[in-house]
Amino acid sequence: MLASFDTHLFWTALSSGPYWRGALTALELTVVALATAIVIGFFVALSALSGRRSLRSGAWVYNWLFRATPTLLQLYFIWYALPQIWSGFAGSWFTPFAAAWIALSFNEAAYMSEIIRAGLLSVDPGQELAGRALGMTRRQILRKVIVPQAVRIVIPPTGNEFITLLKLTSLAFVISLHELLTAGQELSAATFQYTEPLLAALIYYLVIVSILMLVQSRLERRFTWTSGRRRRRPEAPPGVSAVAHDAR
Amino acid sequence: MADVVLRADGLHKRYGDLEVLKGVSFEVDRGQVKVVIGPSGSGKSTLLRCLAMLEPPDAGDVYLDSEQLTALPEKALAAHRSEVGMVFQRFNLFQNMSALDNVMCGLVEVRKLPKKEARAAAEQFLARVGLADKAHQYPDELSGGQQQRVAIARALVMRPKAMLFDEPTSALDVELVREVLDVMESLAQEGMTMVVVSHELRFAHHVASSVLMMDEGRIVEEAPPDEFFSAPKEERTRRFLSLVES
Repeated sequence: MLASFDTHLFWTALSSGPYWRGALTALELTVVALATAIVIGFFVALSALSGRRSLRSGAWVYNWLFRATPTLLQLYFIWYALPQIWSGFAGSWFTPFAAAWIALSFNEAAYMSEIIRAGLLSVDPGQELAGRALGMTRRQILRKVIVPQAVRIVIPPTGNEFITLLKLTSLAFVISLHELLTAGQELSAATFQYTEPLLAALIYYLVIVSILMLVQSRLERRFTWTSGRRRRRPEAPPGVSAVAHDAR
Repeated sequence: MADVVLRADGLHKRYGDLEVLKGVSFEVDRGQVKVVIGPSGSGKSTLLRCLAMLEPPDAGDVYLDSEQLTALPEKALAAHRSEVGMVFQRFNLFQNMSALDNVMCGLVEVRKLPKKEARAAAEQFLARVGLADKAHQYPDELSGGQQQRVAIARALVMRPKAMLFDEPTSALDVELVREVLDVMESLAQEGMTMVVVSHELRFAHHVASSVLMMDEGRIVEEAPPDEFFSAPKEERTRRFLSLVES
């Protein structure tokens, strides 16, 4: 059976333009969507921890809405329904990439907000108390004391989210975004071979995730508060490993 | 006329059903050291937090240099909190900052001093508590006693009108208590106004201008240390002292 493996086709796929561009699109989409999700998720997390009831309810509704509905449905909705509801989304700027960016950002923000909330809660309340006693404002305490400490807690689960999101970008083929899996499928359809094109796509995903894991362990070391942190080996193994398996 | 720095007038504070302060009035003059003792749950820490305006009292007023802090809105309060130094039982150093950055933080963020000036002042105060060589260590790398001395430097660098200490040595291993008390004693000798919640009775005896006994949200007794320890008037004080001293 292995005899039928077409090495030439495999290498052609691996080095072809559509694969390369597809991988780049998937990576770009993951990075911008995660970055946007972290920003939105941060404010949702602050709302969830707020003393004001209206803000807390708002955060709850947001998380409920985006976690209870399938990501695929959200993608369809943004791409097909949104331009019908709001003509501002009917323009040529509204590409499949833009639609996927919006849908995945809002979806991911719901998950990120919970991660960030846990991170903020993990910081000892004594830290805020000390900041207030010094005369710092809440905003200063958040920026200088609480957020930097929460980051350390937030990094490993965010690595998981990156991986989940990278795999979710393959869903965007349903709104005709040419990402990595699309490249694999198109080549399969053209050659009637499945092993080589799909294996080549798999390699790309593995490479992207490996790079991420490297970046993550660097970041974790950066946010360890010891004077010798740049010389020290990280104590914990890279946290992402193979834990990201939720099927959204 | 006495020069009152910090004054509390009829403070009440409750958490849910629990009334922690039941009308506490209290004042400390410039250069005085007042030591507050009492069983746990008697309201000592809450009194300090009200004086520092970290917890607004439900009723009663707090004055700093005759300014009524309890009348100020939250925004204006932040600036006034920086004029009262607070030292906590668990140190509460900022974990993400080196010792030097901890001490600089208030000057840079609150006083808006240029970094260079703030650094010079912070170095001076770290040296003052004997930790010039630990400037670049992080809290996790310091002993409890060293952390508490950094915390004292962090409060002192703001040149506060008064320093409040909330059981500053009770989280420390026995052999580390002395180094912190030494710093506090020298502060007192330099004329710093201090309110100290502590069960270090020898410190109270040596350093305090007066000692206060708190129980069940009230000040039970206040007297100069000689009188307080040798001839307490209240039965409650006698019982407590016999428990602590034994």
